[in-house]
Amino acid sequence: MKRLSYVDLHHQGTAQAPATGPGLTRRRFLEAAGASALAVGGASGPPRPAHAAGELNYVGWDGYQAPEVVGSWEKAHDTRIKFTSLTDSGGTFTKMVAGGYRDYDVITNDVPWIQRMGAADICHFLDAATFRETFDSFYPQFAQPFEPLMWDGRITGLPTRWGWVGVNINTKHSKPEDWNSYAPVFDPANRDRIGILDFGDWATFQVILYAGINPFEPLDQNQLDEVRKVFRALFNNTRLITADLVQAQRALLDGSALIFLAGGNYIASGMRKAGNMEIVSFVPEPINGMKQGVIWLEATAVVKDPADPELAEDLLKHLVSTEAGTALAWTEWSACPVPSKSVEALLSEEQKAVIDVANMWTNYDRSLTYTVAPNIDDILRIWQEELTR
Amino acid sequence: MTGMTPLGAEVPRQLLLYLTPAGSWQLAFYGVPIVLLLLLTFQASENFRVAWVWSLDTWISVFSAPHIWLALLRTLAMSALAVLCCFALAFPVAYVMVTRLSAYDAHIKLAILFAFLSDMVLKTYGWVLFLDQEGILNWILRALAVVPADYDTGLVFTLAATLLGITANLLPFMIFTIYLSLSAVDRDLLLAAYDSGASHLRAFRDITLPLCLPGVLAGGAFVFILSMGSLVEERVLGGGKDPMMGTLIRQTFETRVNWPLGAALTVVLFTVTIATMAIAGWQIKRMRGRT
Repeated sequence: MKRLSYVDLHHQGTAQAPATGPGLTRRRFLEAAGASALAVGGASGPPRPAHAAGELNYVGWDGYQAPEVVGSWEKAHDTRIKFTSLTDSGGTFTKMVAGGYRDYDVITNDVPWIQRMGAADICHFLDAATFRETFDSFYPQFAQPFEPLMWDGRITGLPTRWGWVGVNINTKHSKPEDWNSYAPVFDPANRDRIGILDFGDWATFQVILYAGINPFEPLDQNQLDEVRKVFRALFNNTRLITADLVQAQRALLDGSALIFLAGGNYIASGMRKAGNMEIVSFVPEPINGMKQGVIWLEATAVVKDPADPELAEDLLKHLVSTEAGTALAWTEWSACPVPSKSVEALLSEEQKAVIDVANMWTNYDRSLTYTVAPNIDDILRIWQEELTR
Repeated sequence: MTGMTPLGAEVPRQLLLYLTPAGSWQLAFYGVPIVLLLLLTFQASENFRVAWVWSLDTWISVFSAPHIWLALLRTLAMSALAVLCCFALAFPVAYVMVTRLSAYDAHIKLAILFAFLSDMVLKTYGWVLFLDQEGILNWILRALAVVPADYDTGLVFTLAATLLGITANLLPFMIFTIYLSLSAVDRDLLLAAYDSGASHLRAFRDITLPLCLPGVLAGGAFVFILSMGSLVEERVLGGGKDPMMGTLIRQTFETRVNWPLGAALTVVLFTVTIATMAIAGWQIKRMRGRT
C-alpha cells in the first residue's frame, strides 16, 4: 500500500472530504478547477454512453458516479446519468427545500438529510413491497422497518454505505486503551489537543452520550442544561473545529490533535487505505448502558416528482447490488462497509483490514443509529451559544 | 430638461434616463432580495421549512440571545482591527510605490494584483501551512536555533491568525485606494511647501496626509465592509472556535436550517455595518469641518 506524504494528503482529502463548511472550501475550489481543466481540455471524464436514449439527474457524494458503480446500469438502461457532486449535505438540503429538488431525480446524502426530505415534502417515498428483495439482501441491522430512514411510517430511501462515529486517534501519539471513554476529551492536560469535525449536528452527539443523555430522545430542561455544561467543557479543550477533512487528517497525523470527534471511520479509512494503519477508529464501551457511538449512514433516495419514477427506483436497487456495493466499499479515497451482505465475501484480506471488518459489528453494537433528534434545534442553539461564548 | 433629486437639486432628465437601467437592476437584484430577506425574519421554521406565520418570535430570540451580540461585537472589533492593520501596512507600501519606486510601480502593482486575484481560499490555506505546528514559520525559527527544537508559536487556530488572514486577503484594497489618492497629490504643492521652509515631515503632515485621506477612507470602507462578512479566515485560520457573524449566519442557515433566524442575523449584520459606516463617515466629516 502506498504511504501518504504530506503533499499527497491534500489531494486525498480534497477528493474525499464531504465538506459542510462555508460556501468556498479548498476542496470545492479544486473540484471547480478540475472541472474547468477538463472542460478546457475537451476531456469528458469516464466513458459514458455516447447516444443514451434517456437522462437521469443525480446529485450525490463523489464516488457514486464512478463507472464501476453505475457504468453497467447506464449501459443496461441506455440512460446517461447526469451527476452533480454534493459537497455540502446541509447546504444541498437547504437548496432542495427552496425548490432545487426539481433539478434532480435521485440523491445520495447522509441519512438525517434524507429522512428530513420526508418532513420537507421533497421525497418520493418507496414502496416496501417493491423493494422487498433488496431489503432481504441487507445485513439484519438494516432490515425493514429501518427507522433512521422512515418518516411518518414511510420509507424515504435506501442505506448505501455506513460506518461509525467514535474515537479517531493516531496510535503513534495516543494509546487506544486511554480512550475507553471520552473522558480525556475533558482532561485539562489535553487542552488545545481536541479536534472536532464540523459535520452539521454530528459534532454534538458523542459528548452528549458521554454525559449519559440520549440525544435521539426528547430532552427536558435539566438534560439540556447538562448538554450545555458538557459543550462548555469540550470547547475549553478544543484546538480546531473544521469541516475540512484534510485539516483533520493532518492534525491526526502530526499529533497536534489527540482525537477528532465526529469523523468516525470515514475520516480514518482514507488514511488507512493509503497505508497509515496507525490511524484507528473505534467506539468506546457503553457507560451505564448508554451507547457511546453513532452510526453514520449514506442513503440514496428518489426526489419528489422524478421524471421517470420507475427508472429512478431501479437505480436505487442497482446502487445496493453486490456489483455496485463492492465498488462503493472500496473507492479511490475511502474504504467503508456497505449494507449488502454479499459484498463482504468479495473483499480481500487487505481490504477487510483497512475497513476493519473484524470490529465493525462491535462498533455497530456500541452505537446508536441516527434518527432526527427531537431537540436538535435546542442542541444546535446551545452549541452555537457555547461556541460563541 | 431637468428633474429634481430627493434633496431638491436639479439633475438633467437625460441623466435620469441613463440611470434607469442601472437603477432597475439595483432595485430588482438588490432591493427586492433585501425586502424578501426582511419579510423572512417575521416567519418561523417548521420541519426544516419556512412557515409563513407573521410573528415577532425570531426578533425576540435575536434580542434575547447574548451570544449573537457577542459574535457581532467580535466581528466589529476584528473588522476595526483589520482596517488599522491594513492601513499600517498599506500606507508605507503605497507611499514608497508613488515616491521612491515609481519607476517600478507597474511591476509592483502587477505583483499585488496577481496576489489579489489568486483564490482567497487557497491563500488562506497557505497561511495555515505557514503558521501551523509543522509549518514553515516554526521550521525557520527552529532552523535558526532561536527557539527550542519543539517550539511552536501556537499562532494557528487563534484570533490573531484570523486577523492575519483577513488583513492579508484585504490588503490590496487599501494599497490601491491609497496609491490612487497619493498619485493624485499635486507635487507642486509639496515643492511650494519645501520652498516655504517646511520640513519633509511637516509637508507630509499638512499636505500629503490630508490630500490622500479620501483614499484611506475608501480603503478603510472596503476593508471594514468585507471584514464584517468574512467567513473563510475564521474557519480556516481561526480554527472555528471564535465564530464571527458570517459563521453564525452560515450555521443558522445550513446546520440549523432556520432561515428566518439566519435572515434576521443577516439583517442585523447588514444594518450594523451600514450604521457603523454612516457614523464613521459623519464623525470624519465633523472632524474635517473643524480643521
